[in-house]
Amino acid sequence: MIHIIAFYLFAVLLIASAVLVIMSRNPVHSVLWLILAFFNAAGLMVLVGAEFIAMLLVIVYVGAVAVLFLFVVMMLDIDFAELRAGFVKNFPLGILLAVVLLAELVLGFGAYRAGTLKLGEADGTAATIAGRSNIESIGALLYGEYLFLFEAAGLVLLVAMIGAIVLTHRERTDTRGQNVSKQNKRRAEDATVNVKPEVGKGVTL
Amino acid sequence: MIGIEHYVVVSSILFVLGVLGIFLNRKNVIVILMAIELILLSVNLNLVAFSAFLGDLVGQVFAMFVLTVAAGEAAIGLAILVIYFRGRGTIAVDDIHRMRG
Amino acid sequence: MVDLSQYLPILMFLGVAVALSALFVFLPMGVSRLTGTHNPDAEKNSEYECGFPAFEDPRSQFDVRFYLVAILFIIFDLEAAFLFPWAVSLDLTGWPGWITMMVFLGELVVGFAYAWKKGALEWE
Repeated sequence: MIHIIAFYLFAVLLIASAVLVIMSRNPVHSVLWLILAFFNAAGLMVLVGAEFIAMLLVIVYVGAVAVLFLFVVMMLDIDFAELRAGFVKNFPLGILLAVVLLAELVLGFGAYRAGTLKLGEADGTAATIAGRSNIESIGALLYGEYLFLFEAAGLVLLVAMIGAIVLTHRERTDTRGQNVSKQNKRRAEDATVNVKPEVGKGVTL
Repeated sequence: MIGIEHYVVVSSILFVLGVLGIFLNRKNVIVILMAIELILLSVNLNLVAFSAFLGDLVGQVFAMFVLTVAAGEAAIGLAILVIYFRGRGTIAVDDIHRMRG
Repeated sequence: MVDLSQYLPILMFLGVAVALSALFVFLPMGVSRLTGTHNPDAEKNSEYECGFPAFEDPRSQFDVRFYLVAILFIIFDLEAAFLFPWAVSLDLTGWPGWITMMVFLGELVVGFAYAWKKGALEWE
């Protein structure tokens, strides 16, 4: 019983907050609704036992991606009223497209209920290991079979990091940064010179 | 009883909402990126639901990869947005076709 | 279906958090509404900045350097997230799993070294 109530609660909140993400007038509100949508999706995933993915969704999306969006919205001083100019104009076309897409999905869904195509069946090799938790089974599968995909994911992260640095990092020339190793390497004998000039003669440096 | 159908319906509605968001906010890149995040979320929900339905964890492993790519996409997309704004002082996508060279 | 009873402590925690924060927000409002006079006007509701109207939008701009730090945080956050299933399933995956993770960490260290070399981590 509690499962059913929880499912409908999460599903309704998820859809409602997704609607508000795309309809909100202010992008800051959009980001906050997006955070709510991620939380509810995490709840839906917990309900079917995908606990690790739900945790990942909360940590990575709510903790990082949503904050990044909020950052950008706050960082750029944008005239948002101007950006909404096409909203009403695009509304009929957008709704039409959404209806067509939804109709297609419903059609596919009806076909699925009428009798599915058998493309193969889970053979149980990738099932949750008996007596192990969700996260342990995922780890065994990810690091046992999908090693190279995992390395590719690491490369995606590397490229994202380098790309972001290349795009947004600017060398600052107006401030003089501290160079710690140069400071530490400096010795007194390099910095000062002891000379004994004769009377009437200057010092050449 | 809640079955796989319920999850598929929820995730397809979410997907359509994401596509609709791209169409409605055609000028605002930030909201477009958020709509893309919604689409990827619906894909993840679908993967996880089918993974639970079939008792096959591969779906959840791939949901992790989708999550990775989504985070990278958000990071790079927003970085492009930041430098575009720095150069032009606006983020209206209509002007992007002028960005050549 | 997953056994949801193990989430009861989290639910209780959430309930207590919501109740406490609602209390902190609404109790002072209710008390002041009951004990004080309440007749707001436009001048009273306007934001106050030392006697003159506010100079600028409260939504002030941040520096772009915050953004770079946030991106690096996302990348390393995901990396740490990948470490969790690896750490608990090492007895199942053994040496191949260990070596894979070390290669993965090596990739991220390359990125880290790049960020460090470019000075993306430095503030001034």
